[in-house]
Amino acid sequence: MGKVEAVRGIDLEVQQGEVFGFLGPNGSGKSTTIRCLLGLLRPTAGRVSAFGLDSTRDGVAMRRRLAYVPGELRLPDRLSGMELVTSIGRLRGGFDPSRRDQLAERLRLDLHRHLRDLSTGNRRKVALLLAFLFDAELLVLDEPTNGLDPLMQHEFLGLVREARAAGATVFLSSHVLSEVQRAADRVAVLRAGRVVAQGTVAELRGRARQLVEVWFADDPPVLELKALSDVVDPVVDDHRFTATLSGSIQPLLGLLARHQVSAMLVEEPDLEEAFLDLYGGVA
Amino acid sequence: MNASMLELVAVPLRAVRRAAFWWAAGLAGLVAMTMAVWPAFQGSSGISQAIDQLPAGVVQAFGLQGFGTPAGFLRGNLYDFFVPLLLAVAAVTLASGQIASEEAGGRLELYYAQPVDRRAVLMGRVIAVLVALTVISVVLLIVQLASDAAVDLRIDTAYVLSTIVLSALLGALHGSLAVAIAGLRARPSLVLSVGLGAAFAGLIVSSLFPLSSVLAPWRHLSPWDWAFGGNPLEQATEAWRYIALAVPAVVLTGIGMACVTRRDIASG
Repeated sequence: MGKVEAVRGIDLEVQQGEVFGFLGPNGSGKSTTIRCLLGLLRPTAGRVSAFGLDSTRDGVAMRRRLAYVPGELRLPDRLSGMELVTSIGRLRGGFDPSRRDQLAERLRLDLHRHLRDLSTGNRRKVALLLAFLFDAELLVLDEPTNGLDPLMQHEFLGLVREARAAGATVFLSSHVLSEVQRAADRVAVLRAGRVVAQGTVAELRGRARQLVEVWFADDPPVLELKALSDVVDPVVDDHRFTATLSGSIQPLLGLLARHQVSAMLVEEPDLEEAFLDLYGGVA
Repeated sequence: MNASMLELVAVPLRAVRRAAFWWAAGLAGLVAMTMAVWPAFQGSSGISQAIDQLPAGVVQAFGLQGFGTPAGFLRGNLYDFFVPLLLAVAAVTLASGQIASEEAGGRLELYYAQPVDRRAVLMGRVIAVLVALTVISVVLLIVQLASDAAVDLRIDTAYVLSTIVLSALLGALHGSLAVAIAGLRARPSLVLSVGLGAAFAGLIVSSLFPLSSVLAPWRHLSPWDWAFGGNPLEQATEAWRYIALAVPAVVLTGIGMACVTRRDIASG
């Protein structure tokens, strides 16, 4: 087996108190980046730091201030949920049993059952409970809603918002775009181990292609429309013009202002379209 | 030991308790069944004469010297081969299971992601395996002494104690080799093959090399020779034999700890 370069040249800066979405398909290097942050992997070059602490040199001090939900969740099967939570609680010190019970109730989790008997979703809830139990300054959540039903995904987003309101920073790695769209302030998109886009959700959305549909009162200016930059796949059908805009809408609006337009429809792009654009040509 | 360290011991200890029970029960059964036939051997001149007919090398290789005597009976049936080997297998499999298999299965990531040093996580598991090995050895000692009394096998208790302590230390040494390998690479198959391979190789060197005049001096390379070369069932064991087993065990454990801090953690 040869060596695999999972990530390269990633340069991310997450601000305190924000929810930072870390997007990318499976195998793009999200978990590898997170495992470097936690000191589980040692980067071959560069450094990963949080709170000014180096992940390799000051791993223990750094991990004291963060909580982590692993993407590939493997828990000690012989323990019950309660035993695991109590054990990790004692290991970290200073956990509040009433907070534990409150979280278990919110997540509808029976902590008395053995972990081996729990479904994937319920095991995920145990990991989430552990992450939100300690009032960590930084929550590192790797695919945190895998296996959760929609109701619990909603509850999870509530927990994320509460944590942010309480001053925590959330690093949310996911390939579920809707989840990131709803929760994140800023987003970085990873492809094949490199960051291909970074910015606010609105900025990323602005980079997405928009579907435009225009109905002209008279004959459409076909040649002018087709000559516009950033217009992709223009189709003129009688008085109706459709196209995809890959850039600014301004030149099109300028052209339309000189003609009689009876109706116009611009579909608002969502993050998914931006995401798919960034992954164009990637299997 | 602080609360964090106690927790790092408690979880693996809980995991090994069932295995420790079965190892203790198995060894206790082996000892009890073996001891049950002692009355048939006691004072039997026929068996001693039959053994005397065997080539000297075979008698030595299989620990059959003085088979009709209490020390010879225990040595040939239990402590030259079976008990130390089984303790070594127990130590290696428990260490491999609690360190290499747990990490390879991704189950240690949860602990390594906590604010604890990797060495503390590993040490917690080493202590759990040592506790299990101690419990197994204490059960073995109790059953051995009780069986001695039950079948009237007269042997100095101190000699039995030192033989079982040496067997346990030999097991711990092989367990620590497993810890060192697991610290280097979280590959259970590698850990088991090196740990068990070393135990069998040491046994072969210790028992078969003396048959060859050329190889005989090399038997001292084997930890088995360090442990049992002084015939602990018949005479007091020199202190250096305990040290020769314990010191490398500590060094190997230290190597495992040093290695685990310098590599990537397997994600399962």
